[in-house]
Amino acid sequence: MTVLVALPVLLPLLAAALSLIVMRSPRMQRLIGATVLTAIAVIAGALLAEADKHGPVVLQLGGYAAPFGITLVADRLAALLLLTSALVTLAVLIFSIGQRITDYGRQTASTAFHPMYLMLCTGVSLAYLTGDLFNLFVAFEIMLASSYVLITRRTTAERVRASMTYVIVSLTSSLLFITMIALVYAATGTVNLAALPEKIGELDPGVQTSLGLLMVVVFGIKAALVPLHFWLPDSYPTAPAPITAVFAGLLTKVGVYALIRTQTLVFIHDESWTVLLVVALLTMIVGVLGAIAQNDLNRMLSFLLVSHIGYMLFGLALFTVIGLAGVILYVVHHITVQAALFLTSGLITRHTGTVSLHAMSGVAKAYPLVAVLFALPALSLAGIPPFSGFVAKIALLQAGAAVGTPAAYAVTAAAVLTSLLTLFAVTKIWVGAFWGKVGEPHPDPDPTDEVTVGTGSTSKGMLVATGGLVAVSVLIAVFAGPLADMSERAAADLLDGGAYRTAVLGEAGGD
Amino acid sequence: MSTEPDRELERVPWAEWDRPRDRWLMAEHNCNTWPRSLLLEVCARIVFPTVLMVSVYLLFAGHHDAGGGFSGGLVAGLAFVLRYVAGGSAELAATVRIRPPVVIGSGLSIAVLTALVPALVGQPVLSSAIWKLSLPVLGELKFTTNLFLDIGVYLLIVGVVIDLLRTVGAGTELGGPGLDDETLEREEVERT
Amino acid sequence: MLTAIAAHFVLAAFLPLIARRWGRAAFVVGALAPAATLVFALSRASGALAERHPVETFAWAPNIGLEFTTRFDELALLMIVLVSGIGALVLCYYACYAKPGDRAVSRDSSLLVLFAGSMLGLVLADDVISLYIFWELTTVCSFLLVGGEGLTRKLRKSATQALLVTSLGGLAMLLGLLLLATAAGTTRISEIIANPPGGGVVTAAVLLILLGAFTKSAQVPFHPWLPGAMVAPTPVSAYLHAAAMVKAGVYLVARFAPGFSDLPAWWLPIVVLGLWTMVLGGFRALRQHDLKTLLAYGTISQLGFLMVLVGAGTWIAALADVTLVLAHGLFKSALFLTVGIIDKRTGTRDIRELSGLGARWPALTVFATLAVLSMAGFPPLLGFVGKEAAIEGLLHGEPKDLLLLAGVVLGSVFTVAYSLRFLVGAFGARPTVAPTEAPPSGTVMTTIVGIPAVAGLVLAFVPGLVEPLLAGYADAYSANPPDYHLGLWHGFKLPLLLSIAIIIAGYLLHRTALAPRLAGWVPGPLHAQRGYQASVDGLVALAQSVTGRLQAGSLPIYLGVILVTMVAVPGAGLLSGIETPVDLRAWDSLLQVPLAALVLVAAGTVVLARRRLTAVLLTGVVGYGIGALFIVDGGADLALAQFLVESLTLVVFVFVIRRFPPRFVDGRPYFPRARWVKAGLAAVAGTFVAVLAVLFSGSRQGMPEASRFYAENAESATGATNVVNAIIVDFRAFDTIGEIAVLAIAATGAASLILARARQRPSGGYVPEDAGSERTEVKQ
Repeated sequence: MTVLVALPVLLPLLAAALSLIVMRSPRMQRLIGATVLTAIAVIAGALLAEADKHGPVVLQLGGYAAPFGITLVADRLAALLLLTSALVTLAVLIFSIGQRITDYGRQTASTAFHPMYLMLCTGVSLAYLTGDLFNLFVAFEIMLASSYVLITRRTTAERVRASMTYVIVSLTSSLLFITMIALVYAATGTVNLAALPEKIGELDPGVQTSLGLLMVVVFGIKAALVPLHFWLPDSYPTAPAPITAVFAGLLTKVGVYALIRTQTLVFIHDESWTVLLVVALLTMIVGVLGAIAQNDLNRMLSFLLVSHIGYMLFGLALFTVIGLAGVILYVVHHITVQAALFLTSGLITRHTGTVSLHAMSGVAKAYPLVAVLFALPALSLAGIPPFSGFVAKIALLQAGAAVGTPAAYAVTAAAVLTSLLTLFAVTKIWVGAFWGKVGEPHPDPDPTDEVTVGTGSTSKGMLVATGGLVAVSVLIAVFAGPLADMSERAAADLLDGGAYRTAVLGEAGGD
Repeated sequence: MSTEPDRELERVPWAEWDRPRDRWLMAEHNCNTWPRSLLLEVCARIVFPTVLMVSVYLLFAGHHDAGGGFSGGLVAGLAFVLRYVAGGSAELAATVRIRPPVVIGSGLSIAVLTALVPALVGQPVLSSAIWKLSLPVLGELKFTTNLFLDIGVYLLIVGVVIDLLRTVGAGTELGGPGLDDETLEREEVERT
Repeated sequence: MLTAIAAHFVLAAFLPLIARRWGRAAFVVGALAPAATLVFALSRASGALAERHPVETFAWAPNIGLEFTTRFDELALLMIVLVSGIGALVLCYYACYAKPGDRAVSRDSSLLVLFAGSMLGLVLADDVISLYIFWELTTVCSFLLVGGEGLTRKLRKSATQALLVTSLGGLAMLLGLLLLATAAGTTRISEIIANPPGGGVVTAAVLLILLGAFTKSAQVPFHPWLPGAMVAPTPVSAYLHAAAMVKAGVYLVARFAPGFSDLPAWWLPIVVLGLWTMVLGGFRALRQHDLKTLLAYGTISQLGFLMVLVGAGTWIAALADVTLVLAHGLFKSALFLTVGIIDKRTGTRDIRELSGLGARWPALTVFATLAVLSMAGFPPLLGFVGKEAAIEGLLHGEPKDLLLLAGVVLGSVFTVAYSLRFLVGAFGARPTVAPTEAPPSGTVMTTIVGIPAVAGLVLAFVPGLVEPLLAGYADAYSANPPDYHLGLWHGFKLPLLLSIAIIIAGYLLHRTALAPRLAGWVPGPLHAQRGYQASVDGLVALAQSVTGRLQAGSLPIYLGVILVTMVAVPGAGLLSGIETPVDLRAWDSLLQVPLAALVLVAAGTVVLARRRLTAVLLTGVVGYGIGALFIVDGGADLALAQFLVESLTLVVFVFVIRRFPPRFVDGRPYFPRARWVKAGLAAVAGTFVAVLAVLFSGSRQGMPEASRFYAENAESATGATNVVNAIIVDFRAFDTIGEIAVLAIAATGAASLILARARQRPSGGYVPEDAGSERTEVKQ
């Protein structure tokens, strides 16, 4: 049973290696990729069921007990996020395969897409499952390195230059991360997450606070918190739609997950943390104002992504059970919905040949299916009932109202205001792009460019993948009851921490 | 808008997959041929097998002395670098016939399988075992399974180095493969 | 009741398919849901009037408070009569009104049924979150119904304005409800009203809830969206903007009033804004030429009136309020449907162009007159009954109510005037205009108009049919209700005299046509629309200026901000308590000093280097120097790996650099000051990290237990005496696998970039010249 914990990491890695070996045959690569990602989704579901029933599933690698060896832990939070990520990566893979087949035909010169994509999945899975800080760094490295390749693949010189922002900022964040790990090890002598809280508790209060803040800064760069968010809207829109979808859905959430894990397990907080509340407020407002100022569809969605990270930070900063349950719900919802929105944006761009809202019109009349596929996640993002965004938002607002301090009230009011402004932005997209007379699709000057291809055709694969993700987001809303129950249990575990630590440290061996 | 046929959509023969189609860097110096030095080339060919043996030694000696998979792989890679510096991409192509991504992929697969195989026999993932073999002539041989991980690392690094040589090296060559004289002449004309 | 709500949603989902098969008949199918609900509700009327009202619950996600709870009481039943009854009528009407083969039928029918279901849920909801859910659903339905396909700019703007204004209110209401629920400890509305909490937070919550009500019911200054929404098809306006959606605000206030009517923060905004709205709406209605906008402003005015009454907080006022809610729903829907018939048959709604319709369509004229008289408060109609009760209530209330009475009288005068304007304008004969040619108004449509009109007449004569219902609601206000009954004749008392005075004054006002001549004198109303536009434009301008300033597009700035944050934030945390380590050694071995100096000098010189090759070689020196430091410290394996990697990367660098121009930048750099800032920032960040390293390593005493474990168990567990190797391939082998994966990715990525086809042509899709988006470019 415990070998299941390692499989979501080792299987895609093996598949990536095999994809490199069979680079001659695109069909084999597609087959390997789809099979492995489906398998991961199934395994993640099994892990979630097990973790919910019996507590965290722990694997001590090599048989060495923690904190001497590396530990992989699948508790409720990790398994839930793993499942959501697996579904999103599978959907995006199907979308990409569909898009490439439409553009280039079935027999294409294969490129490095599949190995890199599978490596990305490896990195994300490892980030969720690892119980060791240095291993987390390795996971980030795998994830980021493959994202560098995916964002610079096959694009124009200008786009490569724009994605350099992403590469260099991420390299800086990796540098700061490894520095932070070195400092943690220097101060405490261990990098195992379960063993750290005790060691950190023995340090001076100044050292403790600065370590905690340093962790917030490092993960905040990845999670795109204000004022560390500037790289995201400049770089994410430059990638092809499925790549942006998987980045927006997964990479920032890994940063949020790392924040949640370190601030609940490694550093214990008894009451809401004002610093984080302020950052959450700024992130929400700056992000949504940025979205309103845009006329480019993808840039607008990127700014909305930044803004909604603020919601997750808001719930985390409250450090109550309902707050954390709200965060978990929001993360699950946002991964799905943001990825679905970027995929739909890809569909729209293919039909209209442009990303500028001024140049599009009448998409609802011309392609009603795309309109529905956009409307559902967009309403969910804006928090309109009865979709998943509303469910998660209600939990967060109730948590904020329950805490009762002036800072909490201020951020709760800001959350409501952000919701209104998100609706404003989404309406701008709807009115600009979907309503009106049907516009002519703009001929694309470069039909082989993957980012803007005005071929006017979308394949079944692309529609099925997008529809699948939208369906998942609807299911999140429908099954909000069981999901909320599980999130509450996960949140209680997080705040308590004891179950995790006993599972990791209290065990003698691996199985 | 160019009128040349869209090369992207043709079926690309397998042998030419790695051939760079267009120039990658702007050129300052006009260097049509690789500067060849007979002395360097001959010495490189003589030294090459020895360096490879040293790298294999480092691989196996890592358990007890300085060395290991990383060092061994890097030394082997540097051997190939030496061959490339001596003779250019033609020399490199003569040395290595297998595609670098295959080498990289094999190295990585070996490493991952080292992690997974123990799970098949009921041990925790990534456990290692120590085997003792008694051979007739050589005596007792102690052998640990984590050597396979080292071998995987070795292969991967060798593959990485050759890949870098092939792309960063060959792709930055003027007059190298993939460039024709017409392009060069056109640039000459544009510059004057 | 929950099944009734669900049935609406299910039916709405299937209506597009039905519409595709059977066209306009889909509306009639859709009407089945509200009609069945009405019948069902009326059959259960006894439950509504009983002491304990029937409650149903459906748990969606109970531990975050998402539970659908319905409570079937008097107010709910009254609203159901309006929502479902008028809904069924409007849907049947729409079946005749829509053109056959109109593609909008599938969308409109399903949206209308969806809307009907949402309104039903809204009036039945007993917990705050369900109330909000249905509230927002009605907003979204309204947006889609008003906008249609958004073919004209006016449609888009009006729909957006309606959406934004009502959403602002809706979200404010949500916040207020949540605060209230938290303060009261329960999400059930009935329980909150029974024991209303107090405190500063509750006052804020109450104000937020009122904001929601005011936006939905188009009170000043949020009212311009309602006349704007008149671009919707007339049946939609009849349902949404007369009978159902705009009533939601009044319903909300009426629902919460029994608990909060004593709170000044509650009744003061209500009565002030309500009065202002009533007067303003009536005044504006007198200046309209379009029948539909006339009715819209009339609705605004009436809603103000209803607000005033429910804010007054006495039993009789409450009774009057619900009576007028019923009356208004009946007459307004009838009038809107009349306008629909006029519009469809004659092609115009402008009273300046219509003439002689009264003679042409006698039946319709009779029905319309009944409705108009009810609106004007003329006996013997339900509107009159309600108005009598209202005046009675305000006369015998508190002293402040007399002021309200004065305002109400003024508003009523305007009401009479615009009612006459409507009637005469729509059906009267205009001497200067030729009689309008028009085919007969359809029998079905006219009958549908007649039903609510006649109901207004009938109920006035037998108020006993509805009085138990209405009085049952009012009982929530006071334990001892005064002895007052609805009726046409209460004796020759002050209310009657006032009513007569109002009617005469209104008639005179209409005859002298005073109001239209006061052009330009009233600055107020226009400002509300301009205020909305200014807010929206101001928001976009603010967003653009903030974002333009923050999103600099320059990588050095981004990195600088990151470094500053990294230094400032943990640095501030450090100040909260640190002890400097006492035993600080400058160096362990003398060899470290020259090596460290070499590394620092080389690193500093890299920045100053002019030629690329020099910079690369100096970076190599830094790498080799660090390798040498490893040797001095005793890490042979590390040093070996470091030297080898450094050599390899140097080789790769040189391959690339040889093709670049030899110098970095030709000539002097443009901004020398910027370079000093960058260098200073980098130096500060580096020093900070060094300081942290010294401080943190000083915090730990002794060897970490992990290191001890590795040293002790390396040989026995892994068979290796080289501990470093043991760690890499065994104890922490997983990290190794991960890191070689990164190497593989790096190589593959380099290959993919280099082998990519070079692009000659610019790409990025079509961007129009006048795209006003901020341009960002990565400036190096």
